[in-house]
Amino acid sequence: MVTIKASYNNMKELIGEDITVSELDELLSFAKSEINNYVEEEDMLEIDVKTSNRPDLWCPEGMVREIKGILEKEKGIPSLSIKPSGYKVKVDPKLTSSRPYIACAVAKNLHLSDYVIKQFMQLSEKIDHSYGRRRKKASIGLYNLSMIKSPIDYKVIEKTHCFIPLGNDKEMSLEEIIEHHEKGLEYGYIVREYGHYPILLSSDGVTLSLPPIINSNTVGRITEETKECLIEVTGTNFETVNVELNILCQTLADRGAEIFSVEIIYPQEIHKENVITPALTKQEIIVDLEIINKYLGTEITTSTAIKILEKRRFEGKSLDTSKINVIIPPYRLDILHWVDIAEELVIGLGYNKIGATKWQVLTTGGLSQETEDENKVRNILVGAGAVEILTNTLTDLAILTDKVNLDDDSFVKIENPVSVSYSVIRNQIYPNLISVLSRNTHESYPQTIFEVGEVVKIDKETPCTQTNLAYLYADAEASFEDAHKLLHRLMSLLKVEYSIETKEHSSFISGRCGIILVEGNKCGVIGEIHPNVLEKNLIWVPVVGLELELYLLPSLSCKRKFTF
Amino acid sequence: MNNTENKIYLSPETVKLYEEISKKKEIRIEELLEVTKLNRGKLEYYLSFLVSEKLVERNDIINKKLKLTKTGLDAAKNGLIERRIIKILKEKSSVSFPELSKLIQSDKKEMNAGIGLLKKQNILEIENGQISLIDENIDFNLDLQSVLEDLKTKQIDDAGINTDVIVKRNLGVLEDKKETILKTIVDYSKTKDRIEKTIEASRLTPEMIRDGSWKTIRLKEYNLKVSPPNYFVGRKQPYAQFLDDVKRKLVALGFQEMRGPIVELEFWNFDALFQAQDHPAREWSDVYRVSNPQKGSLPQEEYVELVQKVHENGYDTGSKGWRYKWDSKKSARMVLRAQGTSVSARTLVDLPVPSKYFSISRCYRPDTVDATHLSEFNQVEGIVADSSITFRDLLGILDTFAKDIAGAKEFAFKPDYYPFTEPSVELSTVDPNLGRIEFGGAGIFRPEVTRPFGIEVPVIAWGLGIDRLFMVKHEITDIRELFSYKLDWLREEKMV
Repeated sequence: MVTIKASYNNMKELIGEDITVSELDELLSFAKSEINNYVEEEDMLEIDVKTSNRPDLWCPEGMVREIKGILEKEKGIPSLSIKPSGYKVKVDPKLTSSRPYIACAVAKNLHLSDYVIKQFMQLSEKIDHSYGRRRKKASIGLYNLSMIKSPIDYKVIEKTHCFIPLGNDKEMSLEEIIEHHEKGLEYGYIVREYGHYPILLSSDGVTLSLPPIINSNTVGRITEETKECLIEVTGTNFETVNVELNILCQTLADRGAEIFSVEIIYPQEIHKENVITPALTKQEIIVDLEIINKYLGTEITTSTAIKILEKRRFEGKSLDTSKINVIIPPYRLDILHWVDIAEELVIGLGYNKIGATKWQVLTTGGLSQETEDENKVRNILVGAGAVEILTNTLTDLAILTDKVNLDDDSFVKIENPVSVSYSVIRNQIYPNLISVLSRNTHESYPQTIFEVGEVVKIDKETPCTQTNLAYLYADAEASFEDAHKLLHRLMSLLKVEYSIETKEHSSFISGRCGIILVEGNKCGVIGEIHPNVLEKNLIWVPVVGLELELYLLPSLSCKRKFTF
Repeated sequence: MNNTENKIYLSPETVKLYEEISKKKEIRIEELLEVTKLNRGKLEYYLSFLVSEKLVERNDIINKKLKLTKTGLDAAKNGLIERRIIKILKEKSSVSFPELSKLIQSDKKEMNAGIGLLKKQNILEIENGQISLIDENIDFNLDLQSVLEDLKTKQIDDAGINTDVIVKRNLGVLEDKKETILKTIVDYSKTKDRIEKTIEASRLTPEMIRDGSWKTIRLKEYNLKVSPPNYFVGRKQPYAQFLDDVKRKLVALGFQEMRGPIVELEFWNFDALFQAQDHPAREWSDVYRVSNPQKGSLPQEEYVELVQKVHENGYDTGSKGWRYKWDSKKSARMVLRAQGTSVSARTLVDLPVPSKYFSISRCYRPDTVDATHLSEFNQVEGIVADSSITFRDLLGILDTFAKDIAGAKEFAFKPDYYPFTEPSVELSTVDPNLGRIEFGGAGIFRPEVTRPFGIEVPVIAWGLGIDRLFMVKHEITDIRELFSYKLDWLREEKMV
């Protein structure tokens, strides 16, 4: 999801219709967007665009393009006439291994208000961040055309090359920019991976920018006075840089700018032929309406389909009674398959208008055997008067170790935790329940709690998800017997033969704890919690309890789920 | 008639009281107190058994009782003022006002009232300040005098025709008098044989039950208005209970449950769902990566190979694919399940048709935990597969979810986006208080998702946001409360 800000009044103006905020919201749903907030005093809409593969919608101009189609104010693919600018860009073959592709255009007759500039910057930033994968895949640059002389060089340069980066007043070398400049710190890693520095230079040697990091403070500054500009997209993917440029050109054209093309001179290593950008070649896809109608449950005729496609800013030509050749606008790269066209058609028909149908095929429902068995255990525990708890599986290392006197760390750890409180996946449950008791010492005793939940263990280096039961009983009079009698009844109700073997366990009192054995397998632990653990958790009454791995009980069908 | 049924169990004290009442047929309670020498509380207690056994009837009557005032008492003792005046006049034949006042030893107001009365009755005359009787043999208000004396000395409550005069002249006042009269309904002699004498005990003991002595024991009554001590019961966690309810509803709709692992391969979490390997949702900021082990082994080679092809060139689906070099190493990375759809993806292997599945699975996102975000949460997800199923059927399924699971009367569909479904739809319900709530999302799996698993039929994928539903119902505003540690809430939260 991408959130953008836009002026409500300006959107009304672009649409050419006086509509209310809620009417606008309704129309925006056709552009997979919705109004999240409207600050009337600032005339500012906050719009959530739900699609991550339609960067053309991440600006008011793009959304209005869709709305105008739905309102039938404009139909089909927007026309965009392009004249050559005479500008050329020469691409250095050394860039083959790093950031080989570039697409450029010249925009003239600009009428840039502060709002339009901000809108355009917002669009560039959103595209760079999301569609351009934080500038790694592609990034956008804008320059004052009057300061640039053709041909432009897109080449590799030495790290000592200097220029004044945007927002600075002093020259910095490329190396310094990567090491110290705010944007260098943020995006420098991309260039570091290349092993060399890409640069854009005007033919008179003036630096345009260090892509994808920072523009020049002079050439790369756009103001309300700028009447002509150069737009450039560099990146690692040919299609991506070109579609991004197409989106930017269409957006500026929608604001009244004239667009001129630039010739990109590629070395053979990168691209077989030179390219004129923006390359507004329209992709096509042939779809079979019969198949689409079966898929959607609709009865769309070819003529209706073509009309809807035009409302959705496509164009279509009927090939026979069922097949249509669909022409895709050059600012869209998201059409991969006929199902994408099927969606365009059904959006055009209206989700709330086509009518829901009842699929009547009979199927048998049921819980998994595993859930059924877990429920049996839960019911026994509830019957025993225990209160069920649901705790986090993603928890704190200290809760699983130090707080219960353990140093075993054979649990799944997170590489990128947001907080230490949520940094490991539990491998057993009773430490969490100790933590629950620790936070409830002001509540009346006895406290009888349990959890039947998932834990993850690592078995021969493979993580496996399994369900455990943990039970704790806290009371001034609590003793081993309280846990033992519960275990005994539970096992007897579940028809499981078990034994307890006395064994030391640092969470429990020596001689008052043991492991639970079923068919020779160690499947749990039972005992009186060690006073040292109680002290660490500020619990001032004795606590007894047990933990059981349910998959080891032969009468239950709780399976372990290995990750592969 | 069954003999034991007819028995009447009474304590010895109650029987004694019964005998006393029965002797008199009808008796005032005061009288009974005197006879039995019981205090009022005990008497009332024993009496209650007789009343409840319908042996004695208790009538509470309110009577008027004439009570002499100070003037009345004085008149009873020394004579009525008019009679005293007559007495003096008979002795002196004629007296002046001052003389009379001196002789009569009464206050002037009372004396004047007496003179006034006698004059009105033409019993005396006044001439030149001298008072004298008209008829020297007169006797006046002898009846009234003797009534007053009776009232004073005898236990009588009214003065018949004289009552009005007495009240009017402030010689007496009428007071309310509550009187309890006990009447025998069944005479003691008739029930005597059926009466078993009982003794009183504070608790029923096993011995009493076993030896039959309970029959002669009366257990003391309790005060049932006293609050009981705190009591907690074993119960399911409210949110877990809610999830159980959702599961039950889905099962009733014909859905079969699926389960999957918490630690997931990127393959199942993303690649199998046609999410390109450089998709932003796969970045470290959007998914928890596991550091031990970092990598796992990929599933059957045939699936891996076809997933790779679908990403790179669309395989035979007719799709363009994502057109990049797919990397099996990225696919083998271990992550915490980021979306429940990964469980659905695993179910695509050997998927039966037709079929309907659901899962409620714990999912994880690297969010900072606060009142509206959790780092782990439950997702309700599922799939429906059949050769006949269409997008309009999908809307029909969502329609059922909105009505049967969310209980919504009003709901709407909107276009939506998921990388693995096309078309995609958002379901929102309209709550009368909270307005529009996003309740679910769904779509038909792209052929790029189903085809590598050999599936030729449409597969609907759906998901529901049920946490909000639970929070609204339980008035929870902080999402962290779903995994609450508060024992008071866990013990006491309402079940309905």
